[in-house]
Amino acid sequence: MIADNYLAHTADPRVRKPEAATGSPRIEEEIIKAIQDATGNESFSLKAPRRIEGPVDSDRLHTLASLIWSRVGFQHLSAISCVDWLAEDEFELVYHFWSYRDFCLVSAKTRIPRETASMPTVSDLWQPALFFERDIHEMFGVVFEGNPDLEKYILSDWDGPPPMRKDFITREFAHDHFHFRDYEPDWDELVKGGYHSNRGEGGTDV
Amino acid sequence: MEKTITQRSAWDKVLTKLQKRSLWMLHYCTGCGAVELPPTMTARFDMERFGIMPMVTPRQADILLITGYLSVKTLKRVVLIYEQMQSPKYVVGFGSCTINGGMYWNSYATIKSLDQYIPVEFYLAGCMPRPEAIIEGFTELIDRIGEGKANSWEDYYKNYEFYRKNQEHVFGTIDTRTDIPDDAKYFKIGEVEK
Repeated sequence: MIADNYLAHTADPRVRKPEAATGSPRIEEEIIKAIQDATGNESFSLKAPRRIEGPVDSDRLHTLASLIWSRVGFQHLSAISCVDWLAEDEFELVYHFWSYRDFCLVSAKTRIPRETASMPTVSDLWQPALFFERDIHEMFGVVFEGNPDLEKYILSDWDGPPPMRKDFITREFAHDHFHFRDYEPDWDELVKGGYHSNRGEGGTDV
Repeated sequence: MEKTITQRSAWDKVLTKLQKRSLWMLHYCTGCGAVELPPTMTARFDMERFGIMPMVTPRQADILLITGYLSVKTLKRVVLIYEQMQSPKYVVGFGSCTINGGMYWNSYATIKSLDQYIPVEFYLAGCMPRPEAIIEGFTELIDRIGEGKANSWEDYYKNYEFYRKNQEHVFGTIDTRTDIPDDAKYFKIGEVEK
């Protein structure tokens, strides 16, 4: 097993035996209780074996994240995803934390208003969050306070609105921005006998 | 009409005859089309029996194969590569994504028609074209080169402003470090304003 190999090479004393990590729901209950005790948040619950999920207020998220990082031993921020709830005028940010010790995934969901979308960064706890936050900033326009680098990431030449927002109509943008080929039923006649240029005077006439 | 390099002397005929059997191909594998190239290159379809070989550098390549969709960001690289290549050069649009956007027709990030940005010698239709179609296209290209009809690359010098305008429309101004007007002068193709 991959997990066995991983544990065999880990010197971390907090690492449990793999048999403890599989099977009993005891560990999940411990984690839910730890979150409850430290933050007073009682809404986290077990959705599936080793999958814990719950909502959290956007101003409490950083507290929860630092608890999860330091006390419960979640060393891995697996992803931050963003959902655009257009009708409710809200963005939902989902933070996925993974524990190599307990083999557990905690998903913390938080909602922020679309108009003034801003969140405190968690990149001080998990460095990979720099890229997740930069990506979400580019695609949704969410500002992450404290993130030092929110420059363009993938869309280096983009000057439009954030394209993954639901109110951004990609079809209209594509039609305004790009040249679409007209349907030419007699295309095979056009291309016969050399290169067909439709650029006006300069075209080749072979 | 001004004399161009494709108005063929006897020497040109010898030259094209030699040239058409020694084509080196740079494959710019952006999309899923690259998966059809290994069978085309290797034993079963064996592209090399036509004298077509994969090449790793743009400056030594004759064919630029664009195998799939091009986002605006990759188009910029393609233009840089295209301008580095030595003329005569032949761009092959591979698959429906280069023709009309294919399944990415309503994407905000991909271009829909490659020949608006660089001149395309021919398109291979399909999603994806099978190796038989690739071989068919390349044999057609070989015939056209032999007849002196494969001259799409001249269009870039003749209509440089058109291509430049379209390129700048999608990704702004770039310095490609290639002096297109000077190249056009070398090939005796019109006067090009930069």
